[in-house]
Amino acid sequence: MVRALEKYIRPGIKTTPFCPGCGHGILMGLILRAIDELQMDMKKMLFVSGIGCAAWIPSPHYNGDTLHTLHGRALAFATGAKLFNPELCVMVISGDGDLSSIGGNHLIHAARRNLDLKVICANNMIYGMTGGQVASTTPKGTKTSTTDEGNPYPPFDLCRLVKAAGATYVARYSVTQPVALVRAIKRILLREGFSFIEVLSPCPTQYGRRNRLDRPEDLIRDLIRRCVTEEEAEGMTDEELAEKIITGEFLA
Amino acid sequence: MPLKSLQSSFLKGTFYLSGNEASAEGAIAAGCRFYAGYPITPSSELMERMAFRLREVGGVFIQMEDEIASICAVIGASWAGAKAMTATSGPGFSLMQEAIGYAAFTETPCVIVDVQRAGPCTGQATRVGSGDMMQVKWGSHGDYQIIAFSPWSSQEMYDFTIKAFNLSEKYRVPAFVMADEAVGHLRETVRIPEKIEIWNRKKQKGIPPFGTEEADGVPPMPSFGEGERLLVTGSTHDALGYRKTDDPEVHSKLVQRINLKILNHRKEIVETEEYFLEDAEVAILSYGFTARSSLYAVKGLRKEGRRVGMMRLKTIWPFPDEKVSELGKKVRKILVPEMNLGQVAGEVKKYVTCEVISFNQTNGEIIRPEKIKEELRKIL
Amino acid sequence: MTQTQQIRVSGFGGQGVVLAGLLLGQAGAIDGKYVSGSNSYGAQARGSGCKSEIVLSESPVDFPHLIGVDILIAMSQGAYDLYHGEVREDSGLILYDQDLVVPKESLKVKQIGIPATHLAIKRLKNKQVANIVFLGALIEMTRIVSPKALQKAISMHVTERFRPLNLKAFKLGIDVGREIHG
Repeated sequence: MVRALEKYIRPGIKTTPFCPGCGHGILMGLILRAIDELQMDMKKMLFVSGIGCAAWIPSPHYNGDTLHTLHGRALAFATGAKLFNPELCVMVISGDGDLSSIGGNHLIHAARRNLDLKVICANNMIYGMTGGQVASTTPKGTKTSTTDEGNPYPPFDLCRLVKAAGATYVARYSVTQPVALVRAIKRILLREGFSFIEVLSPCPTQYGRRNRLDRPEDLIRDLIRRCVTEEEAEGMTDEELAEKIITGEFLA
Repeated sequence: MPLKSLQSSFLKGTFYLSGNEASAEGAIAAGCRFYAGYPITPSSELMERMAFRLREVGGVFIQMEDEIASICAVIGASWAGAKAMTATSGPGFSLMQEAIGYAAFTETPCVIVDVQRAGPCTGQATRVGSGDMMQVKWGSHGDYQIIAFSPWSSQEMYDFTIKAFNLSEKYRVPAFVMADEAVGHLRETVRIPEKIEIWNRKKQKGIPPFGTEEADGVPPMPSFGEGERLLVTGSTHDALGYRKTDDPEVHSKLVQRINLKILNHRKEIVETEEYFLEDAEVAILSYGFTARSSLYAVKGLRKEGRRVGMMRLKTIWPFPDEKVSELGKKVRKILVPEMNLGQVAGEVKKYVTCEVISFNQTNGEIIRPEKIKEELRKIL
Repeated sequence: MTQTQQIRVSGFGGQGVVLAGLLLGQAGAIDGKYVSGSNSYGAQARGSGCKSEIVLSESPVDFPHLIGVDILIAMSQGAYDLYHGEVREDSGLILYDQDLVVPKESLKVKQIGIPATHLAIKRLKNKQVANIVFLGALIEMTRIVSPKALQKAISMHVTERFRPLNLKAFKLGIDVGREIHG
C-alpha cells in the first residue's frame, strides 16, 4: 500500500491477515484511496463488518470507528448506529456469504428502507475463512469443499437482487478494475441512500486451487478476461456471454 | 391514558397502565431513546407504545425485519450513544441469544424485556408461562453474566425497566426484565414519583474501553463519532479492542472480568423482599406474577395461625444466593411454585440444605392462590 | 361499600366488554383507588366468550385477579350461564341485559335486568354502546366509582369521533339506574 494511505491505517498495524493473492488487500487499499481523494474525516466514519475474511478489511485496519459484528448481521448493527447518529458516515464492508446468505434477509430489508448506508460486498464466490464451502454466490458447476462434483445450484445475482429490493445505487466491479471501482466508491461516499457495490475479489486459496486456477495470477487473468461492461456485452452471443461477468453501474 | 395527551418525556402522577405500557414509560423516563423490535405476542403493546412515545420525545423507533435484526440494531445504537432497548417473547428471545452474547462480550449496555409466554416452541402464544428463567442466564454460548429482574406488577414493570437501564449503564451489561404474560397484560395503578434516579454510562477520553486494572472493573464507554476510533469486536479482544484470537491469557482475563464485574457486585445488584419470615417454619420462595398468588396464600394461612413466610426474588440473575442460603437455614422447607418445571427451584437447591419442594404448573394458566395454599397445607 | 370490590364484565367478543372494564378501572384509578384489571386476550377477546375483570381497593391489591365476584355484568346468555355461580351469595349483584339474558330465579343474589342493548338501539341508534349504558346504570346504583371519573375515563380512552355518543350512553345508563334504584 502506498505511503500516502498509511495515515488511514490504525497505528501499529504492519500486515494484513489475507492470504497471498487474495483480492481483499487490493480492495482494502482502493477504499482508502477513495476516502483519501475525498479527504473524508475518518473520525466521522464508522465501518461495520460481519464475520469472514472480508469483514477483516476494515477491522482492525481502518483508523476510524470500527464495529466487527456477528455473522450476517452487519447491516442490522449499522442500521441502529446510523439511525441514532445520522452524522456518522456508515460503510458496511463484508463478504458474499455474510451479506447475502446468512444475512440475506437483512440485505433486502436494508435496501428496501433505502437508509444511507454504503455497502461494499467483497464477493469471492466462496466461504474462504471456513475452508472453501459452496456459497450462495458460487457459480453453477464450481468445485468446492462441499460440492466436489460441482455446485448443482445457480448463484444469486446480488446486484439484481439488491436493485429489486429498493437500493438506489447498484454497481459491480472487480478488483482488476481499480480506476472504475475507486470512482464508484467515491460516488457512494458522496451520495445519500442505500448504495451497494459488489466487488469481485479472487480467492486463490479456497476457490482457485479447486478449479484449475492454481496461481493467483490465473485468477486475476480470469477476472480480466471475463469482466465486461454492459456495452461490450450487448454485442455478444449467448454463448460468449455465458462465461462473462457484466460490470458497471446498474443504477446510479 | 390517552396517548394523544402525553407530551412530557417523564410523566408524573398516578396512571392506569398495563405492565407492557408501564415498562415503555419506565424506559422513556430512564432515558431510552432507541427502540428496535419485531411484533410478537404478548409483548407487542410495549413496542406500539414506544413507537408513539419515542416520536414524541425525539427518539428513534424502528420495526426491524426480525428479532435478530432488532437486537443487533439495539447494540449498534448503543455504541452510537443511545440508551437502547427491545422487547420480545419466547421465540423471539431464542432468536436474540447470539447477539445477547455479543452484547455481554463487547460490554454493550442494552435492555431487553421478555414477556414470557407458554413454551416451548410456539407453544401457547397468548398464554402465560415463565419458562425463560434459565434461558436468560444461559441462552448464549460461553460464560458470561447478565442482570435480570422479575416484576410482579405494572408498578414494577415501570420501576424495574428503569433499574435495568441504570444497572445496564453502570456495569455495561445487557439487563433483562423477565415479565410474564400475566404481568405484561395486567392493568394496574402505577404511581410515578416526582423524581427518579438515572445512571449514565461513564465516559472518559483516551482510556481503554475494554479493560481495567482491576480484575472486576467496568471500563468507560465512548461512542462512535467522538473521535476515539473505536475498535469493537465480538472476537476475544485486548483492552484497546484488538482481536486476540490465540492468546490464552487475554481470553481468560476477559472472560473472567465480564463475569466478576457482575458477580463481585451482587450485593449492590440483588434485591429480595421478605414477608412473615421472623418465625416461619416453612417458606415460599416466589417471583413474577406467581408471587402475587403466593403472598395471598401466605396471608390467608397466617390468619389461620400457620407459621409460613415468603421470600420474593426481585432480581433473578445474578442469583440471590446469600439471601436464599440464609433462608434455607431459617426454615425447614421451602416451596417454590413456578410456571415452568422447576427452573428456579433447581437453583435454590444449590444453595440450601433444607428440603426444597418444587410446585410446577405448565398449562398456560396462572397458578391460583388456592392451589398454593393447598400445597402449603401439605407440607406444613 | 366494602374495602375491595371484585367486578366481572362479560359478554360476546365485540360487545365492548374489554373497553367497559378498562373504563371502570381507569375511573377507579382517577378516584384514587388501587386498581388491578385483566381481561380476555387475543382470539378469546374476539370470539364468543369475553370477560374483563376489575379489582377496586382502598389498599394495595395482593392478588390482582378475582377471588370471588361481587358484581357481574352479563351481556349475553352464555356469559351469564358461565359466571352467575361465582357471584357471592347475599352481598353479590348481577346486572344482565334484560332482552338477551333469561336469569335463574333461584339465585340468592340480587339480580337486575337492564335494557341496555334495547335502549342503545332505540335512543342512540347504536347497539355498540350498550356496554356504556351498563356502566352508567352500575355506577348510579353502586357508586363503586364516581360518575365524573368515568366521564373522564371516556374522554381518555374513546376516540374523539365516538366520544359524544359514549357520553350520551353513559348519561342514559345513569337515568336507567336512577329509575331502577329510585
